[in-house]
Amino acid sequence: MTEKILSEKNLVVRHSILELIEHWAIAISGLVLFLTGMFELPMSKRYYISSLPGMGWSTDYMTSLYLHYAAAIIFTAAAIFHILYHGLRKEKGLLPQNGDFSASITVIKSLFGFGEEPPMHKYLPEQRLAYVGMAFIIFMLIVSGLVKTYKNIYAPDMSLTVVLWATWIHNIFFILFFLAFLAHMAAIVLKPNWPMVRGIFTGNVRLDYARHRHPLWLAEIEPVEKASVEVIEEKQALPVSIEVPAIEGIEKEDLPPGQTKSDGDKE
Amino acid sequence: MKKEKDLKINRRSFLKLTSGVAIASGLNLPKKAFAASEKQVSTLIDLSLCDGCVDRKIPACVSACKTINKDKIPQIIDPIPEPWPRKTIEDWSKKRDVVNRLTPYNFIYVHKAEVNVAGQKKNIFVPRRCMHCDNPACATICPFSANHKNKNGAVVIDQEFCFGGAKCRDVCPWGIPQRQSGVGIYLNVLPGLMGNGVMYKCDLCVERLADNKLPGCVEACPREAMLIGTRSAIKKVAESRARRMNGYIYGKAQNGGTSTLYVSPVPFEEINKTMTKKPGQPDMKVDVQRKMADTDTIGKAALAAPVLGIAAVGIVGVWNWLSNRKDKAGKEE
Repeated sequence: MTEKILSEKNLVVRHSILELIEHWAIAISGLVLFLTGMFELPMSKRYYISSLPGMGWSTDYMTSLYLHYAAAIIFTAAAIFHILYHGLRKEKGLLPQNGDFSASITVIKSLFGFGEEPPMHKYLPEQRLAYVGMAFIIFMLIVSGLVKTYKNIYAPDMSLTVVLWATWIHNIFFILFFLAFLAHMAAIVLKPNWPMVRGIFTGNVRLDYARHRHPLWLAEIEPVEKASVEVIEEKQALPVSIEVPAIEGIEKEDLPPGQTKSDGDKE
Repeated sequence: MKKEKDLKINRRSFLKLTSGVAIASGLNLPKKAFAASEKQVSTLIDLSLCDGCVDRKIPACVSACKTINKDKIPQIIDPIPEPWPRKTIEDWSKKRDVVNRLTPYNFIYVHKAEVNVAGQKKNIFVPRRCMHCDNPACATICPFSANHKNKNGAVVIDQEFCFGGAKCRDVCPWGIPQRQSGVGIYLNVLPGLMGNGVMYKCDLCVERLADNKLPGCVEACPREAMLIGTRSAIKKVAESRARRMNGYIYGKAQNGGTSTLYVSPVPFEEINKTMTKKPGQPDMKVDVQRKMADTDTIGKAALAAPVLGIAAVGIVGVWNWLSNRKDKAGKEE
């Protein structure tokens, strides 16, 4: 498990290195895709962008297309990796939960000084909703982009209906991607979210911040941590398993059947 | 070797020749079978036959094309909105009679080339219009897919969807499409900020083909210097004629291949020397590479990117498994 408390440093590990790589691969390639996608529109010459120092290349549609394809390789591979890898590991922390919509409204109101913020998990409810929205936008961009790429290389006379669907999905979700990106950036501007920003650069957030704002997340990590600490403090001879102190004093009927059976087996 | 009599076929018998199904069935519906099929068609322009219609005010092909397309462009808005910040407006509505170059109102013109062949001066007349490329960048990277290559090979701009950004003209090696400002869908969106009219060019008379008619230029040519037929048949005829006249073919390899084959008794290098590429007046360079081919390899890699993502999951999975095993072994020790 990646997430752990580093009490002596007042930090909590929020993201693994792998997750940071995934995020930045998608973010940087996404921005390159956005920029080169813009330059696939006939705007560079019209808006004198090509006159800016170092931007002469922006009028060459083939250069933009080349860079667009290059970024698409990273973007697509990273997105597929993300879904498959975390899906197989059943990591669902970013998926929306019941009540996220109303909880999001409460959180957003609190950000502007109206009401109290509810205790939160690792991710805020609006983060979970935004994640699904962004994932859907990315999915549509990738699928439509692949259809367009296939057409460019192998099938210029592909069915016009398919081409029009792919084109307009790509264009509309390109705008939605930009809006989602703006919303993502806007979230950073809000002061209560500032302590989270360091997390996406270093992987860690401050422990006192997490304790204050993400108590439900820490509660998931802390029993394990506390148990470990107790074991060390009591200097028990056999601190083999953290489950041992954790289930001491609990009646068997209080335990789920599986665990009871497992205990029995141990005995 | 192709028999000489095959080379003397006229347009209509040529169509019959290329619509095998109709002939085999004995039906007298060659054009219908030809037009209704999705078979790729090509056109042939024989420069040994074209005389530029010197006895006419306007060459027959140009005249026919203008007549067919005279009502194609709707009324131009007046005044035409000024685009921002670059204030380029292209208005040909008051110069509709121009026939010596391509314009939104003129999809074909005839270039007169005075060439030297074996020390003798000779006039070659070269009808110029869209080549209908096999893999047309003008269509494939149109941001709104307003330009599309049909199954029969005709590259057609949909004037209802075109914003007139002129990207198609920029990527066309011959700069064929021409813009008319003050018309089209852009007027209903943000006319000052995006779009600038509609692009126009030859569409191989696709609507006429669908109505079992020949393209206007092919039908009108009094010397039968133009032919249309299935791609394979036109290729055969072009090669045969080129052999017969010890001549040259243009359009077969240029820009990755096109649906228009010129046959000439004079090398195209010589013809090109008489041409200066100007707006609406393309040249005829022999070495025309398909620029978009440079992006094909990386595009194929992009198509394979999902596999790369899956492979990465496998690699990281194996890495994790090995690390866990190592950790476990360490703890057991």
